[in-house]
Amino acid sequence: MTSAAASERTLHWAEERTAFSRRLAEKWSLSLTVLALFLLVAPLFWVLGGVTDQAARVWSWHMLTQTTATGGLANAIVGTFVLLAGVLVVAGAIGVGCGVYIAEWAVPRRRLLLRGASEVLSGVPSIVIGYVAYVALVVGLRWGYSLVAAVLALSVLVIPYVAKSTEIAISQVPTSYREGAMALGMGEGHVLGRIVLRSALPGIVTGLTIALAISVGETAPLLYTMSFSNGYPDGHLTHTTMGYLTYVAYIFWDEPSSADQNLAHVAALVLVLLVVALILLGRLLVRLTQRHSEGAGG
Amino acid sequence: MVSTVIAEEQEVGGCRLLLDQIRPAIHAHLDDPVIETFGLTIGFGNEPVLSGVDLPVARHQITAIVGPSGSGKTTFLRSLNRMNDKLRGFRRSGRVELEGQDIYGAGVDPLVVRKRVGMVFQRPNPFPMSIRDNVLAGVKVHKMVPRAALADVAETRLAEVGLWPAVAGRLSDSPYRLSGGQQQLLCLARALAVAPDVLLLDEPTSSLDPVSTEAVEALLLRLAAKVSMVIVTHNLAQARRIADQVAFFCEGRLIEAGPTEAVFESPKRRETGKYLQGQFG
Repeated sequence: MTSAAASERTLHWAEERTAFSRRLAEKWSLSLTVLALFLLVAPLFWVLGGVTDQAARVWSWHMLTQTTATGGLANAIVGTFVLLAGVLVVAGAIGVGCGVYIAEWAVPRRRLLLRGASEVLSGVPSIVIGYVAYVALVVGLRWGYSLVAAVLALSVLVIPYVAKSTEIAISQVPTSYREGAMALGMGEGHVLGRIVLRSALPGIVTGLTIALAISVGETAPLLYTMSFSNGYPDGHLTHTTMGYLTYVAYIFWDEPSSADQNLAHVAALVLVLLVVALILLGRLLVRLTQRHSEGAGG
Repeated sequence: MVSTVIAEEQEVGGCRLLLDQIRPAIHAHLDDPVIETFGLTIGFGNEPVLSGVDLPVARHQITAIVGPSGSGKTTFLRSLNRMNDKLRGFRRSGRVELEGQDIYGAGVDPLVVRKRVGMVFQRPNPFPMSIRDNVLAGVKVHKMVPRAALADVAETRLAEVGLWPAVAGRLSDSPYRLSGGQQQLLCLARALAVAPDVLLLDEPTSSLDPVSTEAVEALLLRLAAKVSMVIVTHNLAQARRIADQVAFFCEGRLIEAGPTEAVFESPKRRETGKYLQGQFG
């Protein structure tokens, strides 16, 4: 056997071995990712199924029309929507503003500082934010339990998410869009408003959706700032309390009466449905506004 | 003897050696230039990019800027409508006169400069909005016509670039459904819609196929009657086909400029000749 043939055989054998180990690695990583996917999806369906099952057993239509005083959820649903609207306005405006500033105008050092601050804020537990809002707003400013304090506490909680997603979305807008706009003689404001923000919209909407979904699910800051009542929002911004869903889900569950416990189950279902609806609405909005985007063009 | 050999080698590699003895650029005098630069020197940070460029741009003609990569062509082009202003470390000395007025002078609004001196880029860059809104983007911002006239403007401009038959029925579509060549024509229509005096084109056909390139070139030749144009191109054949004037840049300097025919047929500088013959690039 010549040495050339021998080395060829060695090579052949080595190739087979690498092909085998490559296939093994492929199978191994595929099973790991499938497992991860399962671990992600299984709890989701478990929660959805569990919540739906519990709620279906005790469901009745009058829960949507009666207040929590008379065995319904109407005031809590309305209250949750009012909170959401408030968060959308306050956290939306401040968060998007911060994101635009960080992405567009901040000098690198200040950008780092602001990003850091925002990350720290997003790490503060919501109960702490609730407590601070209680001390500063409810007691300090003598607003009492109030809608404003609740909206502000929830907004502080979610502004970092809105700011971050806005910043990322803006930084991903292609330079060629900006240059094209500049070359038409557009000023910075027009470039930002007509071109940059428009193309960054999907990212911004995603951030807002997450912010609203988080707000829908928060209880802790609201216990401190809003307390709870069986009533509807009364139009006052301060010295007022109202109902909201997470309180029902969280507190009524522990109540002795089975009617209250039933309400807690249904409130949980409504909360989950609300989050799903928010996400779908966000997606729809993105699709509608992005039908001219590069990706959609195909 | 040895030194001559080294000189020959370095010469073939580029024009660096010859520039060691700096000589003034050669260019024909133009009577009524639309733009003229005087000693235009540009750097970014500590890196010099352009040194002392004096170049008049002929009115209602096409001026091609040619030269090897890194010779400062694009930087020169972008300095004619102040697109470099915001780039990090941008330094400039010298003047750029548009109709006799220094565009870098005190009190000059860069937005007004850019409206009068438009630009089309290497890769088509339509905005993520409908075809109609793309054409009208600048027109709307500058409030150039009443709302009722916008549809007419869109049609006129799209017809001007020859795109109207292809897009007439789908003005609300995404521009990204168009071919690359059509997208570039759309960008031209968008630039023309704000009625610029001068149009800067940065290798506008380098990402297009030959047929689209031909369409764009034909359009530029038609447009020259009313818009003065400066085009940066790596394609010497293109420069020869469409340009009235040619300016050859190398190592951040203007080496030679003049009527296309003269520069291509009888370049006055050895570097120019070598580059045009493809001896370096």
